[in-house]
Amino acid sequence: MANFFVKAVPPTDLNRNTEWFTYPGVWTTYILILFFSWLMVLSVFGCSPGMAWTVVHLSHSLITYHFFHWKKGTPFADDQGIYNRLTWWEQIDSGKQLTRNRKFLTVVPVVLYLIASHTTDYQHPMLFFNTLAVFVLVVAKFPHMHKVRIFGINADQ
Amino acid sequence: MASVAMDMLRAASDWLTLAFDAPSAKAVVFGVNIGGHLFVEGILFVVIIFLLSQKSYKPPKRPLTKKEIDELCDEWVPEPLIPKIGEEMKHEPPVLESAAGPHAIVNGKEVLNFASANYLGLLGHEKLLESCTKSLEKYGVGSCGPRGFYGTIDVHLDCEARIAKFLGTPDSILYSYGLSTMFSAIPAFCKKGDVIVADEGVHWGIQNGLQLSRSTIVYFKHNDMESLRKTLEKITQENKRAEKVRRYIVVEAVYQNSGQISPLDEIVRLKEKYRFRVLLDESNSLGVLGSSGRGLTERYKVPVEKIDIITAAMGHALATEGGFCTGSARVIDHQRLSSSGYVFSASLPPYLASAAITAIDVVEENPDLITKLKENIALLWKGLSGVQGLQIVSDPESPILFLRLKKSTGSSKDDLQLLEVIADHVLKEESVFVVTSKRSTLDKCNLPVGIRLFISAGHSESDLARAAEALKKVAASVLHDEE
Repeated sequence: MANFFVKAVPPTDLNRNTEWFTYPGVWTTYILILFFSWLMVLSVFGCSPGMAWTVVHLSHSLITYHFFHWKKGTPFADDQGIYNRLTWWEQIDSGKQLTRNRKFLTVVPVVLYLIASHTTDYQHPMLFFNTLAVFVLVVAKFPHMHKVRIFGINADQ
Repeated sequence: MASVAMDMLRAASDWLTLAFDAPSAKAVVFGVNIGGHLFVEGILFVVIIFLLSQKSYKPPKRPLTKKEIDELCDEWVPEPLIPKIGEEMKHEPPVLESAAGPHAIVNGKEVLNFASANYLGLLGHEKLLESCTKSLEKYGVGSCGPRGFYGTIDVHLDCEARIAKFLGTPDSILYSYGLSTMFSAIPAFCKKGDVIVADEGVHWGIQNGLQLSRSTIVYFKHNDMESLRKTLEKITQENKRAEKVRRYIVVEAVYQNSGQISPLDEIVRLKEKYRFRVLLDESNSLGVLGSSGRGLTERYKVPVEKIDIITAAMGHALATEGGFCTGSARVIDHQRLSSSGYVFSASLPPYLASAAITAIDVVEENPDLITKLKENIALLWKGLSGVQGLQIVSDPESPILFLRLKKSTGSSKDDLQLLEVIADHVLKEESVFVVTSKRSTLDKCNLPVGIRLFISAGHSESDLARAAEALKKVAASVLHDEE
């Protein structure tokens, strides 16, 4: 039997702060932004491709750490503050773990790390910073770390 | 810590050189020889594949066990809906049995009324009654809706225009209740993250507005300009974001809780220096201060445009009900869609709006009313200057005369009880109706309590002399051992 009716999908995300990440094309845009920022770093600084990837990886981890794992709450007032104690990462997909979006966001820094480390030929200073950055980001994204503030980092006062 | 990391790195690099010697390291990826990376990269790929193969799940919410539920129920002690009623709360309030003019009937006895903020004696004024009657006959009592929803009647617009014309501002907006003016206008402009510097003695309507605005609130010492300056200095210096957030100073013209008058010239100077906006409540100064009753701005000869937002209740000197906010056209327009008291409550009954128009006309036509009020204030001040055990703490120009105990008993509850005794005696023995500054349990104001006398232009010289004598006599008998 053919489907005569549109099967309505329940809204995946009612949180205006994270809802945009469920839109189609977000992953592609994300990857393209990373790629073009690599091109830009490469052309502006005129450094080696490996250095450029390291710069992109490190700035990507700094930015995502701040916006995904540090800043809490939402910029919107109409959710009555129910997300005030949650970071953006804890808010996405209504707190469901290991969803496709979460997997994508976890794989991105790992792949960036791979590219950056490989293209710098695992040389000492870059390798150290790259490893540190990817370690922090991946640990912060573990399902076991959901709503956990290890060592009280970024805990509520 | 650093040496451990270095050791680890060294071990890793040893291990890498070992991997380089492996025969597999011939391929070239991204322009770099894959060499000994193969192993590390292989492992990371396995990790990624493993991650992708995991099934998603929702972190389980463990339901409470029956035992836990019982425990929680046992632990819970409900907060009482009303505070416990103590002996001091059981008191019979005087019953007003006539209009609250300068002479009124309380508990069946004719008394001199010093408990109503009827500053110009307009309560029961012929012209006001006449305009009320006319308006009632034309429109009926209610306005049948909020202003934005069939509740606007021509007299509302006339009244807004009249107030703006009287005060010399571009526009004004009417509210249906005096108190709700402040707690609607403040949250309409102040939002979460904004900084409000407020006097610690502001009345409950403003306190409520400050709370509803969810802004950061900093209090300064009551009517102390040095404290205000320090507070503003501290906020602008400490907070780097202070430049970006909206900043307000909230003050009352005549403080209902102490009878003090704000030094507006100083406030305007500070506001311009530190770049704050000023929100001024003129409830007790409109029709009282200044040579023609235009309030605090006229008293200090400050151009009215310098005050960003002025609110006032019309229940005091204007002897009607409701309130208004006045300021620039943009300030007023903003409130028409975003001020809760304006948008969501039924509009002011039309007869009250027309009474307000008439009251302003009367004030403008009879400047001698204000002169009479000023004379009355001076007379009562003189009459009460030597009162035993009490001191006048209000401003000599304020229509609220505030008497405080010279020697506090130590707790404001006991002070209040003592003052209640005085007020009670004055009412029962001398037929002069005065009230203490008893505050609601919600009121967070912590200024000392006292006896408040609301002076009216309707009081005659003999009335004032009688009131002063009565208070002196009773204070001397109740507080004889104080000095």
